Amino acid sequence: MFLGKPSLTVGALIGLLLTAAGLAAQTVDRAKAPRTPPIPGYKLPPVSDTKLPNGLGVVLVHDGRFPLVTARLNFQAGTKFDPKDLPGLAEAVAALLTEGTKTRTARQLSEETDALGGSLAGGAGPDALTVSGSALAENLPRLLELMADVSRNATFPQDEVDLYKQNRIQNLQQERSQPSFLASQKFSEVVFGASPYAHIAPTEEAVFKLDLKVLAGFRDTWLVPNQATLILVGKLPADEELMKILVQRFGSWRQKPVPAAPKAEPPAPRRQIVLVDRPGSVQADIHVGRLAPIRTGPEYFPLMVGNTILGGGTNSRMFKNIREKEGFAYDAHSTYATKRDAAVFEAVTEVRNEVVEPALKAVLSELDQMASAPVAATELSNIKNYVAGLYLLRLETQDGVATQLNAMNTLGLPKDYLETYTTRVRSVEPDQVLTVAKKYMAPGQATIVVVGDATKIGEALKKFGDVTITKAN
Amino acid sequence: MKKLLAIHFLLFGAFLARSADVSIPIEKYKLKNGLRVVLSKDNAVPVVTVYMIYDVGARSEEKGRTGFAHLFEHMMFEGSANAPKGTHFATVESNGGTLNGSTHPDFTDYFEILPSNKLATALWLESDRMRSLAINEENLKNQKEAVKQERRLSFDNQPYATAIVDVWPTLMFRNWQNSHSLIGSFEDLNGASVDDVAKFFKSHYAPDNAALVIVGDIQIPDATKLIETYFGDIQPQPLPKRPDLAEPAGFAAGTQVYKDPLARVPGVIIGYPGPKRRSQDYYALHLIDAILTGGDSSRFRMNLVKGKQSVIEYEAELGWPFASAQDYRDPEPYAMFLKYNPKFTGDQIVAQVQDEIAKLQAAPLDAKDLDRVKTLVRAGVVRDLQGSLSRAQALAQYELADGNAALINTELDAAMAVTAGQIQAAAKKYLTPDKRAVLQIVPAPSPQGKPDEKKGVE
Repeated sequence: MFLGKPSLTVGALIGLLLTAAGLAAQTVDRAKAPRTPPIPGYKLPPVSDTKLPNGLGVVLVHDGRFPLVTARLNFQAGTKFDPKDLPGLAEAVAALLTEGTKTRTARQLSEETDALGGSLAGGAGPDALTVSGSALAENLPRLLELMADVSRNATFPQDEVDLYKQNRIQNLQQERSQPSFLASQKFSEVVFGASPYAHIAPTEEAVFKLDLKVLAGFRDTWLVPNQATLILVGKLPADEELMKILVQRFGSWRQKPVPAAPKAEPPAPRRQIVLVDRPGSVQADIHVGRLAPIRTGPEYFPLMVGNTILGGGTNSRMFKNIREKEGFAYDAHSTYATKRDAAVFEAVTEVRNEVVEPALKAVLSELDQMASAPVAATELSNIKNYVAGLYLLRLETQDGVATQLNAMNTLGLPKDYLETYTTRVRSVEPDQVLTVAKKYMAPGQATIVVVGDATKIGEALKKFGDVTITKAN
Repeated sequence: MKKLLAIHFLLFGAFLARSADVSIPIEKYKLKNGLRVVLSKDNAVPVVTVYMIYDVGARSEEKGRTGFAHLFEHMMFEGSANAPKGTHFATVESNGGTLNGSTHPDFTDYFEILPSNKLATALWLESDRMRSLAINEENLKNQKEAVKQERRLSFDNQPYATAIVDVWPTLMFRNWQNSHSLIGSFEDLNGASVDDVAKFFKSHYAPDNAALVIVGDIQIPDATKLIETYFGDIQPQPLPKRPDLAEPAGFAAGTQVYKDPLARVPGVIIGYPGPKRRSQDYYALHLIDAILTGGDSSRFRMNLVKGKQSVIEYEAELGWPFASAQDYRDPEPYAMFLKYNPKFTGDQIVAQVQDEIAKLQAAPLDAKDLDRVKTLVRAGVVRDLQGSLSRAQALAQYELADGNAALINTELDAAMAVTAGQIQAAAKKYLTPDKRAVLQIVPAPSPQGKPDEKKGVE
């Protein structure tokens, strides 16, 4: 029977299905998961890229399945470019680009966007500021006109700036009431030190200082075509016609030299325990981690797979042990987040005050375990399937594809990144995972940040070493 | 997984698509045991969604058995004869997929999204739990605790949630089937016996009370045979009695105030009893919702968030908060939830909302505004067609609620045909103060100002 074959090629797929299906229902062996063929190969629609004479990068993916277009205009102008005394400037610029230009009021921008069956919004991450847009396919030229207009001609009207400031301060207060936010903020400060990656949000004082001068100043410095890439995915016109439209909309935009980007230069990792005191907290948020290699290095894939083994999904060790077996926490996971010039690995859990000590012990022990023994073959192959499968799932929609391409641009990844992703995941070996785990997961130099009530959990934490206590601000 | 309700921000997923320039292929049939099957092939990306929908939701619960539908949804992840506890999650994830389940007023759904070579795996898992779910004392006890924990974390410990889940339905509805708490009480959950659960399973989780929708990278003949293999010999059951959901005549308009110690910002819920699903007025109200709350240029955003700076954020929907326009099954309201600037009062916000509605009642919508809002709705529908899961959800609703999955290709036409006059008439007929329920949610000081102390609602 086909079922007995040791390996099945894609060619055998149909044979297998027909055979299985041809059996009478009663004779199917329900006791075992069905044998299935290997994961099908998938070739992305071709990604082409070019540049306009002014330096604007252009990335195109023709995908005509749905009459839609999805766009990203990516500038190397994220929050790491915020001046020291103005954290939050990049995100404010991003949010306010769409609130008025030389020729369009905020209302006109909103109405024109909706009339395209589309969306238009700016956002800023650590490295990049992105203007995202979408529209029904027939409205692409008008969408591009709006994207060019907001990127080049925003006027930052006083009333819109005031409303933004008012809402952002309110929102910041809301964020600061969340222990998870406080934990991420402190962790980032400690791990990145004086680096521009240290802040994850503005301060109230900085929001208060925002005005036309600083907003326009940031825009004029960093939002220039030679710092930008336009990504278009969807039902696009033929390349020749499309290039004509692009030249019309973006061709007259003058290139301009930009200052050197700030350097990341985070401090060397070392063990420290920081407790952010949050009186009255009935839970403790625990973050354990350190600096890790960036995406473009050879250690990325082994550590990404290792991170998933440790704390990604319900098959992960942290989920199974800390959540399911010990019942310490509802949430127990790990993340490995890479920015362009620096990356962080961290294990995270939120626990009841009473179990802070055993829970932190359990987290440290999972980290030690990763760093001391190679992962078993089955565990590794399950996790590789998981990672490779999720990658495929993200490519179903235009938005999914555009998000991937945008991230590649933000992080400076090689052009073959998507194409080779699955192969690189599959080629990770147990000894590679062990090597990177020893270097980056072993908790010897890990920073430990805990947010909670110092009177309730301070003593428990001291058992792990010296504790620095700070106030939740 | 295990979410009782998805609270939707602006959704426009209800209507599809000849005007959308897309045609979704549909193959539809029934197994001998009554299981409805809908297949839609799309070989562009090697991904498949297996979506199983059961025609039972929280509104089918009986008195003394609140929270049962949701408890049962949890039980569905506790293992079956050939896929013991833990197998479902482990198998799907280790094959590169994701999965979930959720309980709604009128249906319960389960899905797996996987690389398409794993279609048989998903069918094996779904059929095994339909055939042979492990209902025993240990699993039940365990899941009662999990549901209670979910209630504590996701509802009792969250601002606004108790007001929305436990209080709001009692203002909108008078028939107990509709007005009871859809997440249920601890008392009723404690009282559930293995016998109760087994009976619920037998009658509601039978093949003839379900539909199986598969969307994605499949070949129809192969999928058909696999479905017969895995589901063909599951025994049908007499169909359960449908609950009578009819509301008594004479809606009682009114306002209540709820003090919420977890809320930092005041909020207000406003709702009006809605029309019959897929009636002329239903389409008109769907467009009214888009005019008021859809997109960047919506009336609420332009006039309340920006103009008056009174509203901070809002969500609204036909069927809010538990349903969407897509899965709306009357009786449902058109309802909205607004958080507002504490410089204003709840009464002022209600008046401002009613003023916006009054503009729609006073004169027919401007042709340009109507055109824009239709474009917005049309684009939303097309956008939602892209993913295999959202396509499966739409097909399942049209099949279960309307008996016609093919509506996915024509339903948008009905929305696009709505005239300015019909919008004006629907606003006048449905959205008046004498047919309005209001729940004001007022931040209350929390005991000792402790940030995590929960309020005294049990």
